[in-house]
Amino acid sequence: MDIFVNPSGELSLYRQIMRQITDAIAGGRLKPGDKLASHRELSEHLVIAPLTVKKAYDELEALGYIETQRGRGTFVCARLPRTNRADRDEQLRENARRLLSQAYLAGLQLPAVLKILEETDRELTGNPTDPAPQDQKKR
Amino acid sequence: MTSILEFSNISRAYTRGVPVLDGVSFSVAPGEVVGLLGRNGSGKTTLIRIAKGMLYPHGGSVRVFGLSPTENPVAVKKRIGYVAEDQILPLRMTIAELVDFHRYLFPHWNDALQKQLMDRFGLHMNSKIKRLSKGEARQVALLCAVCHRPELLILDEPAGGLDPAARREFLETSVQLLNREGTTILFSSHHMTDVERIGGRVVLLDKGKVRLDHDVDRLREEICMATFQRESVPDGAAIERMRGCLGVRMVRDEWHAIFEGTAESVRRELQNEPGIHEVRCVSLPLEELFIELVGGDRPAELKEGVGVS
Repeated sequence: MDIFVNPSGELSLYRQIMRQITDAIAGGRLKPGDKLASHRELSEHLVIAPLTVKKAYDELEALGYIETQRGRGTFVCARLPRTNRADRDEQLRENARRLLSQAYLAGLQLPAVLKILEETDRELTGNPTDPAPQDQKKR
Repeated sequence: MTSILEFSNISRAYTRGVPVLDGVSFSVAPGEVVGLLGRNGSGKTTLIRIAKGMLYPHGGSVRVFGLSPTENPVAVKKRIGYVAEDQILPLRMTIAELVDFHRYLFPHWNDALQKQLMDRFGLHMNSKIKRLSKGEARQVALLCAVCHRPELLILDEPAGGLDPAARREFLETSVQLLNREGTTILFSSHHMTDVERIGGRVVLLDKGKVRLDHDVDRLREEICMATFQRESVPDGAAIERMRGCLGVRMVRDEWHAIFEGTAESVRRELQNEPGIHEVRCVSLPLEELFIELVGGDRPAELKEGVGVS
């Protein structure tokens, strides 16, 4: 997978890396057991300090998404962490409420929001369900 | 863990009574990359020269690898690599002659690393120094600074005057050295995105003192800027007395105050202050933070003559 960072972006670099890796895991572009680039490879590829990559990996490891096997490398965990169902639903509902209120305030209607969700799904999973809009999205 | 570099209460003046450095203290741990920031004339180069033993501090002390660089100059310099801002290389020499000179001075010279960097930079041994472009000369300076595998690399404005591609190449080389050699790096720079890229920590010098010493990764999360109306508080000093305030200045009719804390917590706290109603809190990229902290006039000088809007 490709990771990009933007030093003057909203999030700090290690958070940008964490988010892209969790996005890839969420969308299935990174599967349990997949190997990640080493600290060294990724820091040289992105031209950022190795400690920053290490920090991102350490946090992801603490959250239970990836694991380091000594001498072999870093892998996506075979069993990903799951929050308990009630908490998860509560949080999703909260986020959905925010998304919808933001969209409605901007004058969008539900179908337009659903379309955005579908597009985001394709982006996350890298899985074009409908090839036409995918082409438009690629710059 | 013992530190690689330690400044304790350093002061130094070039003119009596006008300190350039006035009680600067910080230390650098092994493997750390510290970006030394500050406006022109804030004492970055002076501090670096003191670390190198090229200047005596007028007060305080410096330790490099636990040693005094003025009492043990050879022992210290053997383990340091240094690229100065506008470093002047001997123009009449070829690269080969310059490299030979360095190899003679440093017994642990690494030929493999030298060859690798020569290839990477696309330099030729028999090129004359005076024929090199500014970027190439800087690359030669870097090569000479790192091939003896220094434990501490000090770069004073390494990217000053380089084009973006050359700057990136310089950074790439630094990152590789960090990875392969575990070098500790202290570098001064005005390129904030470079500092955000490779700096683990920033130390900001202002008016002779350390104004900010913070983890780069945590800057976004732990420091924010609050803006509120001018009438909300009597003067800037009142804001500076508030908990966690790192600096304040007035921009048009608004206070811009930098606080330690997340945007959320700072906003909550400020709203409890009498007089302050509308507060906005945002996290800032390093460049904006730099400008907010050392860019503008301080409130003391602002008391009169603020009516420009």
